[in-house]
Amino acid sequence: MTEAIVLQSTNVRKVYGTRQNMQEVLKGIDLKVREGEFVGIMGPSGAGKTTLLNVLATIDRASEGSIRIAGTEIATMRDRELSTFRREQLGFIFQDYNLLDTLTAKENILLPISLSKVSKQEAESRFKNIADILGITDLANQYPHQLSGGQKQRTAAARALINNPSMIFADEPTGALDSKSASSLLETLERVNRENEVTIMMVTHDPLASSYCSRVVFLRDGQIYSELYRGEETRQQFFQEILKVQAMLGGETVDSI
Amino acid sequence: MTLFDLVLRNMKKNVKHYYLYFFALIFSVALYFVFASLQFDTTVAERTALSGSMTSGFKAANILLIIIAGIFIIYANSIFLTRRSKEIGLYQLIGLTKNAVAKMLIIENVLLSFGALIVGILTGTVVSRLFLLLLLKVVGIQETVQLQFSMDALKSTLLVFTIIIVITSIQMIRKVYKKTLIQLFKADQATEIVKEPKGIIAAILAMSGIGLIVFGYWLSGHMLNQFLLLNMLLVLFATIFGSYLIFRVSIGWLLGRIRRMKKGHMSLKDSLSIAPLMHRMKGNAQSLTIITTLSAMAMTMIAISYSLFYSNEEVTRQLLPNDFQFSEETSAFIGSIEQLKQFEERLTAEQIDYERAAVHAYPIELSLKEAEVNEMVREDLTAHVVSTEDLRYLGYDWNDDYTALHYSMLYWAFKDTKMPVDVELSDGEKLIIHEFSGDNIFNLTSFEANLVVSPEQYERLKRYQSGEESPVRYAISIPNKQLEEAQRIFEEVVEDEVLRHSTYYEKYQSMRQSSGLMIFIAGFLGLVFLISTGSILYFKQMTEAEQEKQSYKTLRQLGFSTQELLSGIRRKQLFVFGLPLLIGLLHSWFAVQSANIIFMTDVTIPTLIAMAVYSLIYLSFAVLTMGYYKQVVKQSM
Repeated sequence: MTEAIVLQSTNVRKVYGTRQNMQEVLKGIDLKVREGEFVGIMGPSGAGKTTLLNVLATIDRASEGSIRIAGTEIATMRDRELSTFRREQLGFIFQDYNLLDTLTAKENILLPISLSKVSKQEAESRFKNIADILGITDLANQYPHQLSGGQKQRTAAARALINNPSMIFADEPTGALDSKSASSLLETLERVNRENEVTIMMVTHDPLASSYCSRVVFLRDGQIYSELYRGEETRQQFFQEILKVQAMLGGETVDSI
Repeated sequence: MTLFDLVLRNMKKNVKHYYLYFFALIFSVALYFVFASLQFDTTVAERTALSGSMTSGFKAANILLIIIAGIFIIYANSIFLTRRSKEIGLYQLIGLTKNAVAKMLIIENVLLSFGALIVGILTGTVVSRLFLLLLLKVVGIQETVQLQFSMDALKSTLLVFTIIIVITSIQMIRKVYKKTLIQLFKADQATEIVKEPKGIIAAILAMSGIGLIVFGYWLSGHMLNQFLLLNMLLVLFATIFGSYLIFRVSIGWLLGRIRRMKKGHMSLKDSLSIAPLMHRMKGNAQSLTIITTLSAMAMTMIAISYSLFYSNEEVTRQLLPNDFQFSEETSAFIGSIEQLKQFEERLTAEQIDYERAAVHAYPIELSLKEAEVNEMVREDLTAHVVSTEDLRYLGYDWNDDYTALHYSMLYWAFKDTKMPVDVELSDGEKLIIHEFSGDNIFNLTSFEANLVVSPEQYERLKRYQSGEESPVRYAISIPNKQLEEAQRIFEEVVEDEVLRHSTYYEKYQSMRQSSGLMIFIAGFLGLVFLISTGSILYFKQMTEAEQEKQSYKTLRQLGFSTQELLSGIRRKQLFVFGLPLLIGLLHSWFAVQSANIIFMTDVTIPTLIAMAVYSLIYLSFAVLTMGYYKQVVKQSM
């Protein structure tokens, strides 16, 4: 692991509520993500998974601590700069797809680069390339309501990839999918990660989903509890290990598939 | 917690959504009450020469008011019900019976509506005096008049609005009983199924929408024949149905074409304007058509009455160029020489400045049979020749061969004639006419055609004189600010009732009163139209903003800033508000043009002023919705 560090968080804290009634959701997270990693974030409900993802992804602000993405300190950036940063450097995949109903799949996918200086030809070729990888070329002119859940999530993934982001954040991307679509999507993400060397961070509560990752970080009560590296293990072996840690963590029951 | 507590909680929670509706409701009630009071009150009518037209004017205004208030309230209510569908469903889901839910909604409705009714009537009572003062001002009466609280007005207001409340309650009952739970939960869901108007049929419909409107406009300029009523109905149908097609198909179709040309490469602005506009046109077509039609009606009404008001002085002067007129040959408009002497003595005694002009005229025969004028006036004509020398006091002054034919009775037929025109004199010689005018030379002698010529021409044409010279007519001109006094003196000198009231001053006053009344009614009705249409659009946009909230959240997460989103939304709003306004403006422009024959003056300026004021107030609603969108976008993440 000699690659460059894409994301580095130091002592990130997040506090909600008023002075009288404070709730510390993140209690000092130190995390490094290297280029080309596929990191899964797991943990029981209320462990702060989504909060961590939102804070790292600049959607939410940390109360304290430093976050550097691609060499830029984002904790001190102003809102406007953050927006531009998100648009140019990051990609997002959400549990409920969050596609715009009034746009076709292609329009949805091309949306993030609509404000950038990417030429039309370049945009077209990027679209073709990505749509090909994700197998949605034929769906380009369909509207979201005409697509299945899996197709929608692939469209969302394509949208996340279109701006060649430094990093992709995925929040429970398989949460609303049936098992077949879920594993198909995860396989695609794994392939994109491996072949295109896209760095991905994915929050999930599903051990099967996180078994596609190269590393899994376990959170409990706002702190990092442990980490697992997949190394040379098969996915099946890695899955068993994740289950063990999850059993120790308690809280959440394992989803049977 | 009782049902009533729940009602109160609901109302508290919804107050943000309701306040504009509540305000519009109060405004309609108050105005209805005021108009009804003025309609039933006779004190004002007695002081003006308008008793008949005033009562009927307010009556007509009230009927219009009922219609617009009815449409507005029922429409707004259905929007609110759709918004609250989920809530209605939820109450049923947690075990409230349909009966209880309906009861709850109706209590809410009754509380809100009767609240508005009471506040509206109270406001109406308070402001009716103000209205009265304003009315007296526009009709030009300086007396103070007391307005009594009118029981009749109260009764009629209560009756009308109770009926409207009953109708809205029925709407609610239907909503609760006829809709299944799943329909209720889905009613609120973001966008309708997206369906682009495609193919040849859509293209034909899109074109025919535009075609119908163009046809309507064309017909509106060619209505004056024996099928006038049929033509008017056709114009109405063509423009209204045309507008509907434009909103329902044409716009979506055009946007669809633009969009397809982009081949998926839409800018953020397009994504926030073209795309949602296209997909919402179907659902919005009806309301946008209503808004367009109402706006067009209101603007036409205001523009016409304002034009009449605006051109009062000019029009009266066209009919009655002289302040007072006397001659040996008296008529309903002309006093005797005896009266002239007395009048002049009195004027001098009371130190009122005046100017006397003696105007001579003799008749000649003109033949227009061969002239290139409207077929209807290709006949022989007796015209009385008048020299500009005599008419200097009216501002006519030329020495060359310029010739103007003044004939107010048939002016409409000459209006479009290409000048100059050759006419024939009795010996076959040609006379060139350089100008046709509708302005009278003498007071209301509209049956007399006058040929205004230079002094030299006056002498030259004498050889064609066909009858006795007219008796000399004496015109008395008085400076404007002394006109009222002069009128008083005139009435002392003259006993004849008709003659007394046929002076310029009297006619001007009565014109001013009737057109003042018109502008008063049209102005306030227009304001109700404006507030209703503006509110409907505002409510619709509020709902749309809520439905789009998730999209805004997504876009912000993807890294678009609030400002970038708002600039796209601004463009959408420009369409939503601008299109009905623009089409409404066009409609009313052509409506005013087609009503042109009732005006004797150019009404472009007053029409433009009226339209500008209307548009300005209307667009303030757009600003209001932008404020709401801003809030939604900001809070979305």
